[in-house]
Amino acid sequence: MAEFSVSRAMVRKRLIFGFIITLIIVFLLISRLAWIQIARADELYDQAWEQWNHAITVSTDRGSIYDRHGRLLAGTRQAQTIAAIPPQVEDPRAAAEALAPVLNMDIENIIELITLERSAVYIKRKVEPEITEAVREMNIPGIVFFNEEKRDYPGGNLASQLLGFVGMDQGWSGIEVYYEDYLSGSEGRLLFPADAWGRQVPHDFNRFVEPKQGFDLYLAIDETIQHIVEKELNRIMEEAAPVKAMAVAVDPNSGAVLAVSSKPDFEPANYENYNPDSWTLAPFTSSFEPGSTFKMVTLAAVLEEGIFNGDEYFHCQGHVTISGRRINCWTVDRGGHGDITFREAVGGSCNLAFIELGSRLGKEKLFEYIEAFGFGTLTGIDYPGESPGLVFQPDSQGTLELATTSFGQGISVTPIQQVMAVAAMANGGYLYKPYILDKILNLDGETVYQKKPEMVRQVISAETSSELVELMESVILEGTGSTANLEGYRAAGKTGTAEKLDADGTYSSTDFVYSFVGFAPLEDPRLVLYVAVDSVSRGPRFGSHTSAPLFKRIMEDSLNYLLVSPTELSAQEGE
Amino acid sequence: MAAKSTKRDCDRILLLTTILLLGIGLIMVFSASFVIAGEQSGDSYYFIKRQSLWVAIGLLGLYIFSRIHYLKLKKMSLIILVFNFILLGLIFTGLGTDLGTEAKRWLAVGPVVVQPSEFSKLAFVIFTSAYMSSRRIDLRNMWTATVLPLGIAAAALFMISLQPDFGTSLIVLAGAVLVVFFAGVPIARAASLTLIGLPPLGYLMVNEDYRLQRIFTYIDPWADASDSGYQIIQSLYAFGSGHLFGSGLGRGRQKLFYLPEPQNDFIFAVIGEELGFIGAVAILLLYLIFIWRGFQIALKAPDLFGSLLAAGITFLLALQVLVNVAVVTGILPVTGINLPLISAGGSSVFFTLVSIGILLNISKHAKETKTA
Repeated sequence: MAEFSVSRAMVRKRLIFGFIITLIIVFLLISRLAWIQIARADELYDQAWEQWNHAITVSTDRGSIYDRHGRLLAGTRQAQTIAAIPPQVEDPRAAAEALAPVLNMDIENIIELITLERSAVYIKRKVEPEITEAVREMNIPGIVFFNEEKRDYPGGNLASQLLGFVGMDQGWSGIEVYYEDYLSGSEGRLLFPADAWGRQVPHDFNRFVEPKQGFDLYLAIDETIQHIVEKELNRIMEEAAPVKAMAVAVDPNSGAVLAVSSKPDFEPANYENYNPDSWTLAPFTSSFEPGSTFKMVTLAAVLEEGIFNGDEYFHCQGHVTISGRRINCWTVDRGGHGDITFREAVGGSCNLAFIELGSRLGKEKLFEYIEAFGFGTLTGIDYPGESPGLVFQPDSQGTLELATTSFGQGISVTPIQQVMAVAAMANGGYLYKPYILDKILNLDGETVYQKKPEMVRQVISAETSSELVELMESVILEGTGSTANLEGYRAAGKTGTAEKLDADGTYSSTDFVYSFVGFAPLEDPRLVLYVAVDSVSRGPRFGSHTSAPLFKRIMEDSLNYLLVSPTELSAQEGE
Repeated sequence: MAAKSTKRDCDRILLLTTILLLGIGLIMVFSASFVIAGEQSGDSYYFIKRQSLWVAIGLLGLYIFSRIHYLKLKKMSLIILVFNFILLGLIFTGLGTDLGTEAKRWLAVGPVVVQPSEFSKLAFVIFTSAYMSSRRIDLRNMWTATVLPLGIAAAALFMISLQPDFGTSLIVLAGAVLVVFFAGVPIARAASLTLIGLPPLGYLMVNEDYRLQRIFTYIDPWADASDSGYQIIQSLYAFGSGHLFGSGLGRGRQKLFYLPEPQNDFIFAVIGEELGFIGAVAILLLYLIFIWRGFQIALKAPDLFGSLLAAGITFLLALQVLVNVAVVTGILPVTGINLPLISAGGSSVFFTLVSIGILLNISKHAKETKTA
């Protein structure tokens, strides 16, 4: 009986068993602690750190953009951003229903935002003050406001494509993106430990990363010339309703871009309302056939090589057949220029005369000059998305290609390349690298960077340059460019009519790009200007009636503005 | 079984360990609760004041029970049992209160609020020890030696689980199970009874939605990191951040509303964060010393009742410690078992100290150690 009643011996056995089990479990728990607190400690700590530490970003002012004389082109102003602290929003649906109409947002969309498991979410950023005021008055718990900057362009559309625009947090196009690193500075951050409700823990360690303000950029652009250019481009857009009109003006003695524009353009402050095509700056980013303006390259080459004789006679019968293809002079309808000197051929922009000059030069020499003038390669301008254009390699050239290239067909160049090449012809032969940014100033107004003009190479001699200038003047005085003749100034330049390719790859018979590139005043060129009007749909269809007058008006106004003293007209009259 | 009982000093190591744990508990309760207390009641000292008061009352209880001969408890065991059921029943009357929580677990009599289920833990250890040490028990008889004592405890389990307080109800049952186990009930039978007991337990568990939720959370805490998995993850963050040496006393971050009840069920996580692995292990070792002493007292108790009672008290406390630590380290699902002597909680610390008083009294009557 005794062994079946409860005995001390049995209790003893069971106790020892129980104690051993306890020891084993304590050992296992210590192992578990070691696993969590030693092996996985760093990983768990990192995750915990994430949840403890909240950061407030302290935004800094983006640098402003000025023209060469310190006139503001792009600045910043404060705007308010509406955000939510989801844990503090008591009734998400009610809040969303109140906010939706004012913010012009979808109710479900707002609910989704304000119920996110985050310490803070944006509802709508950078809104107008009256909207924030309306929301403020609703007094919704958990809805907060803070200041952010909004990019402001006091000139509206002025130099829009050049400046580009700023998206929510950074530059997205133009100079705004090209010099993003200088403009944006760096955001500051205030890191602070918070409790589970996101409230800052008092008397605890904070860390402040100072914001760095962006630099101010001063561009080579002259706001007034830019204004003149845009005014005239707008006028041609009105009058001739072309697909596009563009202009670029540089200082031939430095490569500084003084004005550049392409119409239609857009408002950088409301970029999202415009077709992205209007964001691009065609004079830098698009290339097309130069047409007759390219004849100046051929002319410069033969002058420099000493194989041009202005008094030599040439017969233009209106057309010529090369390698089985018939090439017309633009005078083909009236039977060609007839017997003319080469000097007259330049003024009359005779295609056949230039074919002759090109063939005398030979393709190697011609392409040497084309390359030396900077065609086919990037100019290196400080603007995103520059196009290099397209130039055939001499090896792949036949007689036909040589012939067409001589008068500007069959190759593709950008307006900035043409302007820089003409600048080299005008300034004594020096090819410069074009530039937009002139200098960078820090917050204290100290110049931290100053652009120095960069000469790429001397392409032609000073003598060739002055001979060339004289010949180019004749284009304006007597030849095809007479409608570009300036009042009070001597100018030189050349019209160009580029035939556009139709969708099927053949030359269009109706769409032309009328261009004009030239400079003034002759004695001391201050401005090289390129203008182009693409596919006019109204009014006269000649370069001499579209691009040449456009050139004339812009050039006259700009020279007046620059206080360039008018040329002594008596000297001209005396010739 | 002629126990030769000689009057001697109480077990000093046990007393010292108890006081050390109490002291650490007070410090940690203060560290864990001052922010939450300030936020909830405007008084940062709210929890520490109450806890200090209960510790004082509990130490008085410990003193008194260390002076009352434990054999008197054997005579009163039936009365204690009946009293326990009356208290548990009163919760369902107007005297029951939920203290603003989701469970009705307390009795409020004037300014005094007690949690009867904490008393139940002790009551069942006393009753079952008395029952199993009575001479009529024949271990072969399944009904009288196993089903009856456990059945009575199961009734209490059912009542407590209705509050609901499933975790505590399991501990109450565990007290009876431990005593029955130490008494020597055949293990095979105990195991088969457990199997029979599983379905109703499972029902109680699934019955309440939140319990099931806890089980799922246990399986994969990160699957629902924001809600039910939150507690376990926050607890792991606390331990992980503590690393080897801890962030320093009072410097824990996880008590800043990340941890639920940092002064109570999750106080060991605060210890892990502020005192590190070293501190957490040191506290586990203190408990181990406590259990070692309790184990010795049970071995040396002069009679069967004393032995079972000491074993029941010691291992029930051990069970709560192990379960609590297993929960906060993510090994077991969240059960709502606190850490005895350390967690804030008046009734818990009071009845724990009373039971330690009883343990000390048993130690005074220990047999002379004989050669093995």
